[in-house]
Amino acid sequence: MSTDVADRTRRAQPGARKPPAPDPAINRNRPWLTEGRRRSLTGWGFLLPAALLILVMSFIPMFQAFVLSMKTGRGTNLEFAEPLWSNYARLLSDEVFKLTLQNTFIYLIIQVPLMLILALVLANLLNDPHLRWKGFWRTAIFLPCAVSLVSYSLVFRTMFANDGFVNDALLGIGLIDGPINWLGQPETARFVIILGLLWRWTGYNMVFYLAALQNIDQSSIEAARMDGANAWQTFWHVTVPQLKPMILLTAIISTNGTLQLFDESWALTRGGPAYSTMSMSHYLYEVSFLKNPNFGYAAAISFVILVLVAVLAFVQMKVGDKRD
Amino acid sequence: MNRNTMRRFVAVGVALPLALSLGACSSAGGDSAGGGDGDETLTVWAWDPAFNIFALEEAEKIYQQDHPDFKLEIVETAWDDLQPKLTTLAQSREYGELPDIFLMQNNAFQKNVLNYPDLFSEVSGDAVDFSEFPTSVAAYSTVDDVNYGVPFDSGTAITALRTDVLEQAGYTIDDFTDITWSQFITQGEDVLAKTGQPLLSGQAGSSDMIMMILQSAGASLFDEDGNPTIVDNDALLAAIDVYTQLVESGIFVEVNSWDEYIGTFVNGSVAGTINGTWIVGSITGAEDQAGLWAVTNLPKLEGVDGATNYSANGGSSWAISSNADVDLATDFLAATFAGSTELYDTILPTSGAVANWIPAGDSDVYAEPNAFFGGQAIFADVVKFGAEVPSNNTGAYYYEGRDAVSAAITQIMGGADPDEALAEAQANVEFAME
Repeated sequence: MSTDVADRTRRAQPGARKPPAPDPAINRNRPWLTEGRRRSLTGWGFLLPAALLILVMSFIPMFQAFVLSMKTGRGTNLEFAEPLWSNYARLLSDEVFKLTLQNTFIYLIIQVPLMLILALVLANLLNDPHLRWKGFWRTAIFLPCAVSLVSYSLVFRTMFANDGFVNDALLGIGLIDGPINWLGQPETARFVIILGLLWRWTGYNMVFYLAALQNIDQSSIEAARMDGANAWQTFWHVTVPQLKPMILLTAIISTNGTLQLFDESWALTRGGPAYSTMSMSHYLYEVSFLKNPNFGYAAAISFVILVLVAVLAFVQMKVGDKRD
Repeated sequence: MNRNTMRRFVAVGVALPLALSLGACSSAGGDSAGGGDGDETLTVWAWDPAFNIFALEEAEKIYQQDHPDFKLEIVETAWDDLQPKLTTLAQSREYGELPDIFLMQNNAFQKNVLNYPDLFSEVSGDAVDFSEFPTSVAAYSTVDDVNYGVPFDSGTAITALRTDVLEQAGYTIDDFTDITWSQFITQGEDVLAKTGQPLLSGQAGSSDMIMMILQSAGASLFDEDGNPTIVDNDALLAAIDVYTQLVESGIFVEVNSWDEYIGTFVNGSVAGTINGTWIVGSITGAEDQAGLWAVTNLPKLEGVDGATNYSANGGSSWAISSNADVDLATDFLAATFAGSTELYDTILPTSGAVANWIPAGDSDVYAEPNAFFGGQAIFADVVKFGAEVPSNNTGAYYYEGRDAVSAAITQIMGGADPDEALAEAQANVEFAME
């Protein structure tokens, strides 16, 4: 602080602006490099690497993709579309895109709330101080999200095959009369994808909640118990409100992840049968790489996904931020 | 903080990301596949070690007899990776990253040449005699009378059946040779009733079977000008009708994945299959069934003009890239895949790689009886079938057409009206072509 004051005084007096050059000790206190500036420069120094990387790797490509989304043509013969928004207009009449949009929202609406509720319940159960082998349970539930996508998809495919484990088990206990073609029918195939997503990501979200639960003052829960609240009331009226910021965070992350869903659609069902399980990102990939490449159109699809993610995140923040 | 330390720190902070991003750029520019530098090495991208890559290694040995310094650098690249790789390189115009030679699915050839002509080098007709390949096969890689590929793997379709199962039901393989689909269905139902074994299987939602039936009548999803002809296509309607009957009568078992499909005949729950010749490699995997298989041609459609008992599924060709040592690559391909009976004689017995190159079929190796197929000289038969396969037009939009028809078939099997489902498929393809 003392140098700050000294600097300011010096600046105020024009006569003192020129320090004697040869003295390095004074040179270090050149007027433009104040302590405050030095601090902020240090800050920028720390920020710069990440900021530059994000700029080069994310923002510039994003801008280029936006420009690309206004171009049209096959392969490398891209020209600006006439009118510029024609790729976006085209989306409105693309039946396959509408179907993939619908699929993605089905996943979103069913899977995200189910997963978050499940994660919340599991986190609470595992937070019980009297639970034995806590570490084992936590690891077991978290482990799926460390499993490679391809191997888990292969296992799911095998389990849900016509002569797979699930059909055998259901036949064995007499729940069904004949094998169900799980991945061959639209509804059951979607069900398998949702099941896969739940299995894989519930543990991941649970870890967030577990971490947040550690920050909840145990005395608030004890106080609720003293006041005669049962387990459910304690959970709903005391624990959940305190977890709200974390619930908001996981909701945004999950919504974002589901809207960009690609792996399960690609590895589990290849989007089939008849596009009924294909996600938007999978369709985008198909349009760019598997069919006749139409990168302008694919870029337009990616921007629709971006807008949807942004809008939903905004809505969730508005809803989640309401103070009671 | 000392000023010098800080300055250094800031400098590193600025330089690091720059260095990283520049590094990313420079690595893209280096490591060219070479070409014309006197080096006798060719880089090749291909998939399937047991089949394509094995054939390449054998071809390398043969070419080395005359060119001792010659070397192949084979990079195993699955087709699902190869296509995105080509697309990415073409889109970013990084042609320097291309190998000298790459393998391409015949069905994708037109699409890639039309969209990205700069990926390819012309295969000179002076070096490779294309009249020595079946017209239907060379047509895949020919655009505007220019050849861009040397055909390799034959996709000639076969019907492979378990003779022991047929025998139980009182049939022989001859009863399934040169027949029509309605005969096949009648006999198939009989076999199913007597032995409990279905004759065929396939992936649900895959249109392979339909596409094979279509091509057997010389029909396709596109006309000569490349316009989709999914609606009012008699051959397609007949093919879908056959497929529906096959599935509904239980002769054709629908499964969900490729592995399950292979499993159905390897573990003996299904007594046969119809597919490209390359399926022989999977059939012979079931060693306990040695001697119990036989191969014949396909059933044919009735009441459709141009219907035959012959078809094809899959197959691939070698392409020479625009980044290649074109002379060396052309000479290599001309001397091996388009000019060496020795090569085909070596790879045939081990990998079942049937030549598209017609002169190879004259070799004695093709006439040798195959013990797994009860002593039948199956490859000689397959070469004969190959010459009969009607040409059909895949067009640039083959995959769009195929997937739209697959979706339509799923809907039809689920009870939708065929005409409506096909009209929707046609609309989707037309939309994709706009």
